[in-house]
Amino acid sequence: MTYFFALLALVSGIALWMSSGSQAFLDSTYGSLRLLLQISPILVLAMLVGGYVQVLVPKAFVQKWLGAESGLKGQLIATLAGAITPGGPFAAFPMVLVLYQSGASFAICVNYLTAWSVLGINRILVWEVPFFDTEFIVLRIIASLPLALIAGYSAQWLFEKPGKRTA
Amino acid sequence: MLVSTLALGIILLGLMLWAHRQPKPPHQAARAAAWGQLQALLIRLPLALLAAGFIAALLPQEYIIQWLGANSGFSGILIASLLGSVLPGGPMVSFPLAVVLFDAGAGPPQMVALLTAWSVLAVHRILAFELSLIGGSFVIRRTLVSLPLPLMAGFIAQWIT
Repeated sequence: MTYFFALLALVSGIALWMSSGSQAFLDSTYGSLRLLLQISPILVLAMLVGGYVQVLVPKAFVQKWLGAESGLKGQLIATLAGAITPGGPFAAFPMVLVLYQSGASFAICVNYLTAWSVLGINRILVWEVPFFDTEFIVLRIIASLPLALIAGYSAQWLFEKPGKRTA
Repeated sequence: MLVSTLALGIILLGLMLWAHRQPKPPHQAARAAAWGQLQALLIRLPLALLAAGFIAALLPQEYIIQWLGANSGFSGILIASLLGSVLPGGPMVSFPLAVVLFDAGAGPPQMVALLTAWSVLAVHRILAFELSLIGGSFVIRRTLVSLPLPLMAGFIAQWIT
C-alpha cells in the first residue's frame, strides 16, 4: 500500500509539473504540507481517544447486548452498538459473523453493519474531524442517523418471514 | 480546527480519568492500540495528501462544480453516489480525495452522498472482509438493502441545508 501511494504521488506530481509548470507543483506541495501540519495534532489525539475506547469497551459486552433483543428495541440497540464499535473492519466484521452464527437476525446484522459504517465514532474521530469542518460533519451525521434503521427494516421486510429466526 | 482539537482533548481527558479509576488502569494497552493505528499512517498519509493535492490541481474545476456542485441537485447526488461506491481503497485514500473534491467546489449534500456510498457500498471492503468472512448470500442481500441509502442521505442533507 505504501508503494501504491508513493507511485500515485509521483505520477500525479510529474503530471502536474509537466502540465502546469514548477510553480503549480510547488504551490500544491506546500498546500499538502500545511494540511498535514494542521491535521497531525488532531490525528494523534483522535488515535489516543480510539485506543482508550477500544480498551474500555469490551467486545463481549457489545455482543451480549446485541443478541438479546429484537424488534424496534433490538434495532435501536444494534444502531447504537454499531456506532460505538471501536476499530476498523478488522473489528466489526468478525463481530457480525459471530452474531449471525449465534442466531441474531439478518435485519439486526444489517442494521449493525450500516450503523458501524455510517455512524462509527472511531471513523468520525480519526478521519472526519481532521479533514472536514464541524458544520459538514454534523450535517453528515444527521443525514445518516435514520439510515441504519431504514436498512434494518427493509432487510426485515424483504428477506425475513415473520416469526423466523428471532433471536 | 481549534474547536475540534479542544473537544478531542477534553474527551481524551475524560476517557483517561475513566481508565484511571479501573482496578488496573489500561493506559499502556490504550497507547499501544493508538500507536498501532498511527504507525500505519506515518508514511502513507503524507504521500496520500501529496497525491490528493496534485490530483486536485489536475482536475478541471469547472466540471466538478457542474457535476457535483451545490446546484447540481438530484443528478449531482446520483453521480456522487456512483462515484463513492467505486472509490478504491480505505479511508486513507477516500478522505483526502473527498477533501479535494470539496475544495474544488462539490456541494455538501453531494459530499454526504459520496461518503455514505463509500461507507456502505465500497467494493474493496465488501470483497476483502464481508465476502470472505460472512459469505455471498449475506453480501448480496445486504448490498441490495443498502443501495438506496446514499441517495437518502444526500436528500436529507439537501433538505436540511
